[in-house]
Amino acid sequence: MKKITLFLLPLLLFLGLCIFLFQGLFSDPKERQSTAVTKAFPSFTLPDLMDESIIYDNSVFDGQITLINVWGVWCTTCAVELPYLENLKNQGYRIVGLYYDQDLDPDFGTKTVERVRSEVVSMLGKYGDPYAFNIFDVYRDTSLDLGVTGAPETFLVDQQGIIQVHHLGDLNERVWRNKFAPVLAEIDPRFSDTDVIKSEAQDSLQEVSDKTNTAGVGE
Amino acid sequence: MIRLSIISSKHIVALSFAFLVSSSAFIASAAAQDQIETETAQKPVQQSSASQSEEALKQSTREKVSAAEKMGENYSFDNPKDRKTFLKLTAELRCPMCQNQNIADSDAMIAHDMRRKVYQLMLEGSSEQEVIDYMKERYGDFVYYQPPVTPVTIWLWALPVLFAFIMMGVFIKRREDTPVEDLEAKLAAANKLLKDE
Repeated sequence: MKKITLFLLPLLLFLGLCIFLFQGLFSDPKERQSTAVTKAFPSFTLPDLMDESIIYDNSVFDGQITLINVWGVWCTTCAVELPYLENLKNQGYRIVGLYYDQDLDPDFGTKTVERVRSEVVSMLGKYGDPYAFNIFDVYRDTSLDLGVTGAPETFLVDQQGIIQVHHLGDLNERVWRNKFAPVLAEIDPRFSDTDVIKSEAQDSLQEVSDKTNTAGVGE
Repeated sequence: MIRLSIISSKHIVALSFAFLVSSSAFIASAAAQDQIETETAQKPVQQSSASQSEEALKQSTREKVSAAEKMGENYSFDNPKDRKTFLKLTAELRCPMCQNQNIADSDAMIAHDMRRKVYQLMLEGSSEQEVIDYMKERYGDFVYYQPPVTPVTIWLWALPVLFAFIMMGVFIKRREDTPVEDLEAKLAAANKLLKDE
């Protein structure tokens, strides 16, 4: 009896350690809980990227579901997701860009606003323009308030200006289906019609591939 | 002589266990105390109507921050104590972009922005704890290197203490299990064997 426990105890400890370390292989170290979700979008007063005389504030969210896409021309992944975002726009979603540039302080930076604008225009001309308009986060204060760690990041903001989804990284079909579509179906039945039909058709497929999906989300 | 050495090694082990336990307990209580202090620290009531002096302070802060950036992030403080606090804060705040680097160490843009924000908040008169809370509100507990004591994280402190206690229990039990009489009986048997030969 005693011999069996002496044999089993280290074995169990070892197996426990193995399981703990094994699941560590598939966990995404960058994944963490966003503090922005279910909070109101931080209040801001920022100019339009293309025309500084237009000033936006939180009223841009009134009565509409908005996707806020944090991006910049210097960000490669942002360019990659532009075609998909344009596809979403064509499906009737409202996408607003929150643009920020890398110069620490535009007042003293090397880039002039004119140069930023021309770069934006050429990039959107090349890969597609999904944006209703772009808000220029001049000092990146709003990005900091949102808990943005880098570009691209996408927020789903509901009609009351409450953040419902915060996604780090690029937006693609899989992320949309798993992360955005379920929330959208909840907050606005009007939007969900097409999505529900789509996701019902994909449900059986999704169930099968659920495990692979969750494992692959961190890519 | 053998007996004596056994006793002294026993004492040493017991002493080291006691040290381990007490040091773990001390760290745990210190962390818990810290947590309580953090929780009870009152947040200043935010004034909804910004007065003119506040506006002026913000303006001068903005100018100072811009000037510091122009000089290559040469953040300067009038008070040497503030400088120390700034260095401490940037060392203890964690960069959310690059794993395992603090914001003083990291060159990620977010780290630049956070250093600038820390400086700006300090110029505006925020205390150390207020700056930490500001960052925690935006980036979660992840952003501060000292984890808060919660039902999940309490194991960080509890496990070493538990382990020490369990090992001490096992050690004592094993000591008790080896009967001394047995040894003496064996010695006698051995002596007898020797005599017989």
